[in-house]
Amino acid sequence: MQAQTLQKIEALFEKYPQKRGALLPAIYLVQAEKGHVDSDAARELAELFELQPVDVWEVLTFYNMFYTAPQGRHHVYVCTNLPCSLRGARSLLKGIESHLGVHCGQTTADGRITLGHEECLGSCGTAPMMRVDGEYVENLDLVEAKRVIDGLD
Amino acid sequence: MVTITIDGKEYEVAERRTILQAIDDLGLLMTEVDIPHYCFHPKLAVDGSCRLCQVEVEGLPKLQIACDTPVRDGMIVKTANQRVKDARKGVMELLLINHPLDCPICDQAGECKLQDYSFDYGIESARTQEPRRPAKKNADLGPTIVFDQERCILCRRCVRFCREVPKTGELGVFHRGDESVLELFPGTQLDNPYSMNVADICPVGALTTKDFRFKIRVWFLDDQESVCDQCSNGCNIYASRSNNKVYRYLPRRNDAVNDTWICDHGRMSYKQILENRLTEPGIKGQRDVGYRDAIQEAGRLIREARTSSRRIVGVASPYASNEDLFTFRKLLEALGAGPGTFAVQRGEADDVLIKAEKAPNANGARALGFEESYESVGAADVAIVLGHTTTAEYFRDVANLILIDTHVSSLMDQAAVVLPARVTAEKEGTFTNHANRVQRFLPVVEPKFEAWSDGDLLQQIASASGLGGWDSMYSVHEISKELTESIAAFADLQLGSLDDQGRELS
Ligand code: SF4
Ligand code: SF4
Ligand code: FES
Ligand code: FES
Repeated sequence: MQAQTLQKIEALFEKYPQKRGALLPAIYLVQAEKGHVDSDAARELAELFELQPVDVWEVLTFYNMFYTAPQGRHHVYVCTNLPCSLRGARSLLKGIESHLGVHCGQTTADGRITLGHEECLGSCGTAPMMRVDGEYVENLDLVEAKRVIDGLD
Repeated sequence: MVTITIDGKEYEVAERRTILQAIDDLGLLMTEVDIPHYCFHPKLAVDGSCRLCQVEVEGLPKLQIACDTPVRDGMIVKTANQRVKDARKGVMELLLINHPLDCPICDQAGECKLQDYSFDYGIESARTQEPRRPAKKNADLGPTIVFDQERCILCRRCVRFCREVPKTGELGVFHRGDESVLELFPGTQLDNPYSMNVADICPVGALTTKDFRFKIRVWFLDDQESVCDQCSNGCNIYASRSNNKVYRYLPRRNDAVNDTWICDHGRMSYKQILENRLTEPGIKGQRDVGYRDAIQEAGRLIREARTSSRRIVGVASPYASNEDLFTFRKLLEALGAGPGTFAVQRGEADDVLIKAEKAPNANGARALGFEESYESVGAADVAIVLGHTTTAEYFRDVANLILIDTHVSSLMDQAAVVLPARVTAEKEGTFTNHANRVQRFLPVVEPKFEAWSDGDLLQQIASASGLGGWDSMYSVHEISKELTESIAAFADLQLGSLDDQGRELS
């Protein structure tokens, strides 16, 4: 972990009555630096937080926006919760899978895109939708989805 | 103290405890007060993850989990009304949604809480048709434990154990919701000195020990109370036996000694009952002599040494029981041999259970006046030795060694007389642990060859050497009576009056 990240994490400690309260934002900081948080990083965090590595790993794997393995350059996450599914999200996801040649949860061989699915992102009114690098792309169909995805570098 | 009412009965309980803890403190959980539970374990932090322990608390609209609801004065709890029963049924149904129901091939069957509670509190059939979620079968977690992920109900007992007791934290529940799985922290193995306790506390057949699994169905076993003799902690154990054979040791709860745990080394020590045993008496390297002849020969050597006033010494063993040691002390006094000595092997210790002294009764030897010594015993005509930790070196200048021992050792070649003795599991007696707690152990199995306890053998030798007053049959209860009457520290600690938790020396 870079000195800068470490500094930011240490600054966080003061904001919480208990050190471990700062674990989530700290994981975010490590992920921002490295793109993912692997078991070595979890060990480092555990030492810093005076926890056991397994404590960090339980938190880390609980949230699906934390990544334990390297991700593609771009993140494409399709919402498959009920309202989106009623509006065709599942077949949309299948279509994207075959377009990219990877299964949900995998990264394309060229490291360009990681495809995943997401629970409700609070955008049911414009279902189906996906999250591309943190931006919402709404009212989707497969043609539009492919257009957006192909536009990623 | 506060008063709570459970199903119409009042109980005085300590403050700042949860309902389940309070009932467990009284020793009534699942004996008098039936609140089924999976994740709650009296020696681990509260988790509240299984939701089975729900009860109705008067004044609160929703059912509460008894494991995590603090008691308050005047609290009225109901554990058996329809609402509670329905809730339990619901929880049991959910817990079984992904369960393989493979009891016929599951080694936990017969001591499985999922079986027991399904029978007592569950429903009779499943309402789901969906396939069970895929999970690992027969996964290797490390040197001692096998994991069947399909059967895991995610109670997190094993997780909390590793985190809180050995503090090694190998296991965790990762991911979320119906994707939650018990796994190892990446790149680790479940490998710590206490690892096998997870198999005891796992309420289902998800974690089993490589050593015991598939050896025997548990309903063929019965558990006899015993004490581990591998270090001076003296952890309380059950020896599970069938057909005069011990199949495993399990921890037996004693809050003053070992809580509900034992170390892996102690657990595996049941193998020593059969391995490498000294099975035949011997006279001067000759192995096919009769037991009686060997005792007569020992008697003759002692008689001769006495008539020509040559030196006799006694070397005790920290593996011998208090009763054996007391008999030895009496014999040495009768022979005018001066106090006996003993030596104890030392090794690693930790702050959980494992103690440095690798024998169960060094403190008993001390309390009975044996002197700790690691020097050669010096020149002597006869040395009477209760084997184990002693080495050949100590007896360089001894003409005749009378060796009473349980296992084959290098000392045998040097001995004039060798007599096979019984191990802890083959006799009754008491040990005094590192904290001077006197604890009884009961006979578990009979030896498969002729062997007697150290005390019994010493009495027979005394009789053979012509000492007066040693001719009666040896009785460990008689000796215990004499011991407790003649040694002040042991007053009140007679074998028959000790319960299964032991008591401290006064
Ligand atoms: S393996 Fe057993 S003890 Fe561990 S979480 Fe699963 S059911 Fe509970
Ligand atoms: S800690 Fe000592 S007494 Fe306890 S089980 Fe281990 S070896 Fe036996
Ligand atoms: S279900 Fe997809 S955004 Fe709510
Ligand atoms: S025992 Fe209370 S929730 Fe599991």
